[in-house]
Amino acid sequence: MVKVIKSTIVDAPVENVWDIIRDFNGHDRWHPEVAVSTIERSEPSDRVGCVRRFKLNDGQELREKLLTLSDLEQTFSYCLLDTPVPLFNYVAHVRLFPVTDDDTTFWEWESRFDTPAGQEEDMATLVGDGIYSAGFEAIKAHIAVGGIR
Amino acid sequence: MARIYTSSVINASAGKVWDRIRDFNGLPRWHPRISDSRIEDALPADKVGCIRNFNLQNGDNIREQLLGLSDYDMFCTYGILESPMPLNGYIATLRLTPVTDGERCFAEWSAEFSCDPSVEEDLVNGIGTDVFQTGFDALKRHFGG
Repeated sequence: MVKVIKSTIVDAPVENVWDIIRDFNGHDRWHPEVAVSTIERSEPSDRVGCVRRFKLNDGQELREKLLTLSDLEQTFSYCLLDTPVPLFNYVAHVRLFPVTDDDTTFWEWESRFDTPAGQEEDMATLVGDGIYSAGFEAIKAHIAVGGIR
Repeated sequence: MARIYTSSVINASAGKVWDRIRDFNGLPRWHPRISDSRIEDALPADKVGCIRNFNLQNGDNIREQLLGLSDYDMFCTYGILESPMPLNGYIATLRLTPVTDGERCFAEWSAEFSCDPSVEEDLVNGIGTDVFQTGFDALKRHFGG
């Protein structure tokens, strides 16, 4: 089992970051790798158990299921159902924490998954840098441009 | 149940900050409000269950028991046994988490306790500011920001 964990500080209050990322179907509006996303069966995107089907910029299609959503703790978790890359038993957690002494946000994004021997490092880089770190930078840019703070 | 939550970002790796704060008897070396401390019964300071007996700069004496300590997850949980403060069942946790995109860490200090509602706000603000934030500010100064 491979474990990937990435974290950063976003220069905005935790409520503002949560407003953007809590929408399980909203990643096509801010994540640079996601081209288009829909929730299957027209379910609301904050219904635990809903499935998002989305395409990456290169045309690959993925399906992910929402496992947990907490407005109280500002966290959600999800798993991969279908993916063109060899990520198995993939479960990810996104957590936001307030930095109380300057009203900014600590953001942690982690996952565990299985992958064939020899591919651990490539898959960890794909997930950690290509998805998580790229997502951090996109949200930071999004907030800077939007003047949300 | 009253709750306090204070958090900060310190400009040093979690490992370095942990080295500075993990010693349950080490408050006087890093927290400006604490003048002296000893562990009762000459126990090691990382023996879970040990009791630290310390004095604040203002002369108040407090006894706290170590309830949990993790070098792997970098947290320390302790409870107040005796203090001049009008509260009961005080349990606090100090925790460090690495921030992976730089040499810095996320520090959280939280507590729960019971008290008379008339003093809750004063206790929450007093402990949150004078103890927790003052401690974080001292760490930030020590580690440069």
